[in-house]
Amino acid sequence: MATARARPVKHTGVTGWLRENLFSSPGNSVLTVVFGTLLIWAIFGLLRWVFFEASWERIWVNLKLFSVYRYPTNLLWRPMLVLALTMGLFGVSSGVASRGEGKILVTAFRWIAALVFALTLVGLLFWESVRLLWLLTSVVTVLGYLWGRAQPGVVRYLSWAWGISLLVGFFILYGVTPTGPLHVVPAREWGGFLLTMILFTGIIPSFPLGIALALGRRSNLPAIKYFCIGFIEIVRGAPLIMWLFIASLLLPLLLDTDPNNLPAVLRAYVAITLFSAAYMAENVRGGLQAVPKGQSEAARALGLSGWQTTRKIVLPQALRAVIPAIVGQAIGLFKDTSLVFIVGLLDLFNIANTVANQPASLQVAGGIRLELSLFLAVVYWFFAYRMSVASRQLETQLGVGTR
Amino acid sequence: MAMRTGSQSSVSQQESIPFYRNVKIIGFLAQIIFVAVLVIGAGILYRNVTTALKVANLPADFGFLDNRAGIPISETPIPYNTNDPYWRALVIGLLNTLKVALVGVVLASLLGIVVGVMRLSSNWLVRQIATIYIETIRNTPLAVQIIFWYTAVLLPLPPRVSNPVELPGGVLFSNVGLALPWLYPSYRFSAWLPWIIAAIVALIGLYFFRRRQIAKSERPGNPWLIPLGAALVILVSGYFVAGADRSLPDNLASNFLADRGRGTLYIDANENDRLDRGESGAAYAAAQVRLEEAQLSTRTQNLTESGGEVYSIFRFPLVRESEVEEVEIVFADPADETRFSVEFTSFPNRGVIYEDRNTNGAFDEGEDINTESERVTGFGGVELLMNVKGFERTIVADREGSFRIPGFEAMQEAGAEEESSGGTTGRFGAFGAPSTSGDGEEAELQADVTLLESAPLVYSRAFIPVSNYEGGLRLTVNYLAILLALVIYTASFIAEIVRGGIQAVSKGQTEASKALGLSPYQTFNLVVFPQALRIILPPMISQYLNLTKNSSLGALAAYAELFVISSIVANQTGASIPVAIILIISYLVISFVFAFVLNIVNERMALVER
Repeated sequence: MATARARPVKHTGVTGWLRENLFSSPGNSVLTVVFGTLLIWAIFGLLRWVFFEASWERIWVNLKLFSVYRYPTNLLWRPMLVLALTMGLFGVSSGVASRGEGKILVTAFRWIAALVFALTLVGLLFWESVRLLWLLTSVVTVLGYLWGRAQPGVVRYLSWAWGISLLVGFFILYGVTPTGPLHVVPAREWGGFLLTMILFTGIIPSFPLGIALALGRRSNLPAIKYFCIGFIEIVRGAPLIMWLFIASLLLPLLLDTDPNNLPAVLRAYVAITLFSAAYMAENVRGGLQAVPKGQSEAARALGLSGWQTTRKIVLPQALRAVIPAIVGQAIGLFKDTSLVFIVGLLDLFNIANTVANQPASLQVAGGIRLELSLFLAVVYWFFAYRMSVASRQLETQLGVGTR
Repeated sequence: MAMRTGSQSSVSQQESIPFYRNVKIIGFLAQIIFVAVLVIGAGILYRNVTTALKVANLPADFGFLDNRAGIPISETPIPYNTNDPYWRALVIGLLNTLKVALVGVVLASLLGIVVGVMRLSSNWLVRQIATIYIETIRNTPLAVQIIFWYTAVLLPLPPRVSNPVELPGGVLFSNVGLALPWLYPSYRFSAWLPWIIAAIVALIGLYFFRRRQIAKSERPGNPWLIPLGAALVILVSGYFVAGADRSLPDNLASNFLADRGRGTLYIDANENDRLDRGESGAAYAAAQVRLEEAQLSTRTQNLTESGGEVYSIFRFPLVRESEVEEVEIVFADPADETRFSVEFTSFPNRGVIYEDRNTNGAFDEGEDINTESERVTGFGGVELLMNVKGFERTIVADREGSFRIPGFEAMQEAGAEEESSGGTTGRFGAFGAPSTSGDGEEAELQADVTLLESAPLVYSRAFIPVSNYEGGLRLTVNYLAILLALVIYTASFIAEIVRGGIQAVSKGQTEASKALGLSPYQTFNLVVFPQALRIILPPMISQYLNLTKNSSLGALAAYAELFVISSIVANQTGASIPVAIILIISYLVISFVFAFVLNIVNERMALVER
């Protein structure tokens, strides 16, 4: 006796998707309802708080503090110029990258550029003093990208350009002469997001240091090898906040100078760079170990010297394999710049503390701690999340783990 | 022949390589130069440091560790007061670090595994929520998260200690933290201790025995089952045997001062009825405190509670309804007596003084007395007196033997006194100082402290005698804030490790176990997870190390862990170099312990593999 079979369950369309992904079983349906309710409640509560209950005025009023701290208002064109320079160069690099490899750079660039455009819009509406500078930054960003796309040949000058612009940028920010438009702005006037970014550049000198340490760790020469192992393990063994504290106490003693001669920014920068170098060394070492021994043996057989083998054969392959790990480290370092509060530096994170303790902020009913921490979280999250997305794309592109 | 000469000549050529091109010699020279540079550099730095220290007259050795620290620490796992030396403060810092790290590791693992499994759920919504959690938390600095939990959530949001949230089971939560009921070892604990050791020995011995037995019998079995049962039986029977004799230790005494509400249970070694130097408090001893007749006084307060201002609130902590005899308000101006009334929001612990403006006989919104707008309550609020009869509480002393109940006063006739002083100023003198024992008719405050016999473990439940928790296990807000931030932050990394580990188990394993008829739960529990664990554990252990190192951000939540205390010590003494050395060594030791565990795990995992 044949019985009619039930109608097959629909697997397509909206209902099909819902059934498959949300209501595939009674247990799943319960989960969906419970988590759905929680999520809606959380989102609703958050939105209501953000738009109706939170008071964002104190943050809006203090935006200058958050971005550059006490950098003189009449010299704001200097950090803005550095921003324009960086964005222009970033544009050129992405423009070049968009023609060939490195689509990830383009994605990251689009997000950062979108942020710059959005800030330009806000600047045009509200910030009279830097209105034109924001416009300039936006224009330079776009022009840079277009030029890079049109002239992919400039790629060979790019690393030089970045290096030079880093130096130029520093001197624009710090100043060169005692007076005049480029007069020196001492480091204690720096702060806010500007300082966060400056500290973040500590990862750049940590590159060569880290590579040197990684190579040293693999060296046959025991003195060098054990020195490198010791350095790497000791530095990695303790938290960054401790090194920042120790650097701020010990550097003046070690160099036997007055603490005032060594700005806190410099001490923190040294600690961050050395700390980052130790982690970089471990990342690079991972890459070095991943390069098959045949590569260096073949290079030696071809008559390349030891140095040439390392420089031209081993390192390029090793570094390529560890780019995602290095991006991951960059994310960590970016987040960890917030730890400089321990040496009294007023970076983005610590400015929030200052703002929270302003008399006007204390008068706001209920305080503005919640608003401040949300603001900080969003700013840090934007950059860290962009980097982590890029790192994941890189991983897929490089096929780490599949080869 | 020609070949031979050729090779010979090549050998001789090799020997004649000039020394400056010989790899061995170059390497040797390079090392010598390197070491020389290091030594010279270190020498210069050492000279700099010593001269700088001498100029600034700062300590350069560890002698300062024995000096009096004078650092107030609110969270002390071992007894500590400000007279203790620096090294003890540092030890407390280390213990606090371990306290947050160990609990954090357990909780972060649990949360991380849950979220990691959620990321692989077949339910789309659950998967998305897990992804949002991970991507948000992982990409936000831990420092921001700590100040979020500490300054934005735990400090302002929860109820004040005057009105804590009471959860079932005696859990109290307020702005001073969380208090849990707890079992503490009493003076009889030492009798139980051999049984505990026996249980542990039995557990380990039987485990190995059973494991070998199972391996021999070649039948599946759980080697833990019988040993755990045996250990439990030993523990329980030991508890009853050790608890059968509950006689109090010799010379256990109490020096309770009823008017201050404080007392210490101690071993009165020289039997002089006094707590002398060298006599130690009886840790976790239990006692019953009984007051026949007494009086409690309090004042109304205006404070911010749960985000809103509340006015003219008063409270009588810890008193039970059946014990209350009478509540009386003492007004500075007798005219106020007719104006104001009392309403208890929870009798008899909490209430409000109000002015019944709409004369409905009950407290309504806006009827409370605001000292800022109305002068009537004066500075310091209105005083209230509560007469209590037959107050009786069982208390468990803390680890130093001290305990606390509300500070009672001797019962006195406030009304009669008012009459005698002409009814103008009430009980107060010109400057508002209470005119204590003015008329001599005040009764002596009688308090009976009965020492209680206790089993090896004593159950201690938290309560709030005055303005902080007493008894139970107390977790401060600072601890909760740093723990919460560390757990949530680390769990987001652990979740990704767990997800990766589970995904790395090949699909064939799941399919094969399904084909064998295992349920989804069995498939996960018996097939997938054990294999995933091998991939998960090593990175997980390095996350544990990260958590431990990240606890150094305790400064942001005012949690006194190792780094915070070290930095205070360094700033106080100027001994930056010794402190730096102590810090580095402490963290290195912690790191090495984790590395050691990691190595063991890696070894074990390799054994499991084949």
